[in-house]
Amino acid sequence: MFGQQVVNGLMLGSVYALVAVAFTFTIGILNFLNFSIPGIFMVTGMATWAMLKAGVALPIVVVLGLALGAALSFLVERFIFRASTHSDHYVPLVGSMAFLILFENLVLIRWGSDLQRLELPFADTSMRIAGLVIGIPQVIGLLLAVGAVWALAAIMRRTRLGRGLRTIAENPETATLLGVRVGRVVPTVFIIGGVFTALAGLLFAVNYQQVSPFMGEEVALKGISAMVIGGMGNIWGAILGGLVIGVVETAAITWFGARAVDIGVYGLLLLILFFRPTGLLGGHAGERA
Amino acid sequence: MTMASPILELEGVSKNFGGLKVIDNLSFKVMPAERVALIGPNGAGKTTAFNLITDLYRVDSGRIVLDGRDITTVPSRKRIGLGIARSFQNIRLMPHLTVLENVMIGQSAHNASALAMFQPVNLFPGNRWRVHAREALGAAGLGQYALETTGALPYGIQKRIELVRALLSEPRILLLDEPAAGLNPSETEELRQQLNETSRRGVTLIVVEHDMHFIGAFCQRVVVLNFGCKIAECSPHEAQADPLVREAYLGSDEELGQTHAA
Amino acid sequence: MTGYLEGVFVLLAINIILAYGAFLPMAAGQLNLGVAGFVAMGAYIAAYLSNEYAWTPLAAALAASIATAAIAFVVAFPILRTRGIYLALATFALGQVVQATILNLNVVGGASGYPVSTFLGGGMVGAVALAVVIVVIALFHTRLGISLTAVSDDEIAADMMGLSVRWLQTVAFTLGSAVAALGGALYAHHFSFVEAQNFGIMASLYIVLYVLLGGTQTVWGPILGAAVFTLLPELLRGSASWRYVIFACLIIAVMVFRPQGVVTTGMLRRLLDVCRPRALPQGGK
Repeated sequence: MFGQQVVNGLMLGSVYALVAVAFTFTIGILNFLNFSIPGIFMVTGMATWAMLKAGVALPIVVVLGLALGAALSFLVERFIFRASTHSDHYVPLVGSMAFLILFENLVLIRWGSDLQRLELPFADTSMRIAGLVIGIPQVIGLLLAVGAVWALAAIMRRTRLGRGLRTIAENPETATLLGVRVGRVVPTVFIIGGVFTALAGLLFAVNYQQVSPFMGEEVALKGISAMVIGGMGNIWGAILGGLVIGVVETAAITWFGARAVDIGVYGLLLLILFFRPTGLLGGHAGERA
Repeated sequence: MTMASPILELEGVSKNFGGLKVIDNLSFKVMPAERVALIGPNGAGKTTAFNLITDLYRVDSGRIVLDGRDITTVPSRKRIGLGIARSFQNIRLMPHLTVLENVMIGQSAHNASALAMFQPVNLFPGNRWRVHAREALGAAGLGQYALETTGALPYGIQKRIELVRALLSEPRILLLDEPAAGLNPSETEELRQQLNETSRRGVTLIVVEHDMHFIGAFCQRVVVLNFGCKIAECSPHEAQADPLVREAYLGSDEELGQTHAA
Repeated sequence: MTGYLEGVFVLLAINIILAYGAFLPMAAGQLNLGVAGFVAMGAYIAAYLSNEYAWTPLAAALAASIATAAIAFVVAFPILRTRGIYLALATFALGQVVQATILNLNVVGGASGYPVSTFLGGGMVGAVALAVVIVVIALFHTRLGISLTAVSDDEIAADMMGLSVRWLQTVAFTLGSAVAALGGALYAHHFSFVEAQNFGIMASLYIVLYVLLGGTQTVWGPILGAAVFTLLPELLRGSASWRYVIFACLIIAVMVFRPQGVVTTGMLRRLLDVCRPRALPQGGK
């Protein structure tokens, strides 16, 4: 029973982890809390359901879903981030919140507020290992999540793009002086963030086989907690934080009931912000004076 | 020198930034109503000295004594209430307040209590704090700007507004960080008159300035810093002749005695 | 007044109050993404006092506002130690905790909502809103008003001028929470039903966004923001979702073209100059 909970928790946690990576990546490099991420997560989830219902093959759904996430995130960069580089610090944050509202209500207009069930194009997808029921999409999802973060870490360490990103994270002004093409590199931050968010949305839709226009605020916002627990700006920390939240949540649901979980998840976030704002693995110091 | 006790005294003050000694065992005294200049090449620690006196940075070691009282641990916001006011090298007026509101912020030193917060300074034109601030602006020849937004005004005007704001805190010591920088000769002259008037009222003035003509005409004494250490303390005239001071300036790209152009 | 018009009027009145609840901390430079949590506290505390102790609606609303202010004052100390993104996250988390806690409190109905036994008419709601507007505007014409702006413009210079930045921010946060709670209490008593689901992060976002739409530089901005948010959709008469879509597009347009908000100090001054061609005499003479 306990082992099964850990397995379920890790699966849920991998969704949180991917969202947390998207959050932490934009914060770490651009010092920008992107509130449109839950919206992109939800749109991808709903689009996955709609495409599968329309009979689109799963691999194509995955590719289109990721492209959608990247495109929406790019839109946020163009309209909000680019336009507000010289504004007060809260302007991009606020603009991204407007995109969350926009995405959520557009989906409500198109598909209504009902919870939608997904029909997967394959039948029984679970396997049993040592008495534990493990869904194959879940395993694939977890591997994908870890693989994606590993790839991102490699990009950050090895490539020219990664060097550019790290330079911007240090100081945007000197980055320009050092020859980093900030105008090119910043959109890639959003596209990468969008892909991770979309991956999380796809994974959630396939694993839990239900989506709703409110899944952004109900699920993806917990990625913020995961991010802070792991340390803002730290991508491996985001993975750790996501898995911790997933396991703790799954366990707490059995012990205290589903509704008590949010108090725990956000209470923990609050306590960490008060007492250890750098998180478990330590992130950048952010804007603390 | 008279037998009067100093109004401000730095005793062996030091400050490090990440292992770098920015101020090193600095000591000097300032007498009441004196006009002292803090000079030295760029990076000598002049502004840092001001920041330590006003507690923008807390000293690492040493003591700061105001009128015989150790104020080393008095927090920054309380120091202005004790009579230490300052202006900033890069003007720090509040861009979203009018000129009049900005100088009324200067009255905060003696009006920061919970009760004083309810003074209806913008509700009634006849409010005494508002009238007082208006008079101060008028006396400085800035009356016509009272209701303008600060951000849009010319640099020289903003500098003078910042001075009025500092004066409204009724300081006993006024620290001026490059008051003449960026001013044209006629503005500098106006500033000198304004400062003369302030000095006549018994306010002690400590000035960081590059313009040696200004210092020579205005200050009685200079404290020369180099790499955070005091290398000389004498009259402006003597400083210009002092070989140690000359050498300090030779090492930098500035020239001693030349008018600092904006 | 027809029922429809009264409904719009009451919503406008409540939205204006909520706007000032979010505006007060913002005027001191602090974004409160948990403002809906304080609205919820006010609504539930007032409803509880009315239901269980038969308090009159106004007395309950006032008491709820004071109680919420006390809670806000206590949490202000750890919350306001954080800055920038951390402050946004901390207030967000606080709002989520408040909402989740109420959803778990069976004594006030938990997730199934909480009916309120007494009713407060639209006229009274309007009167309270007017009082709030007058008090806040008057407050912003005192030394407190210019001190809060000073703090949001330049914390270090404000501190150097002798202002206690932390104290001013705490006051703004506490007062804002009290005002937000008052709005929540009026809402509960006018609509006779409260549901914690309505006081989540999205509610906070809407409030914060319409305040920013109006602009935080002047005390008049929130009224405009609340009016646009309430009235524009009514004029358009679309479904609720279409209203929010238009609202979101409006926000995005404002953020792109006029990030300082619609009403700014400069604009207000120009407007006043037009209304009052003769300016006040100069220099007090």
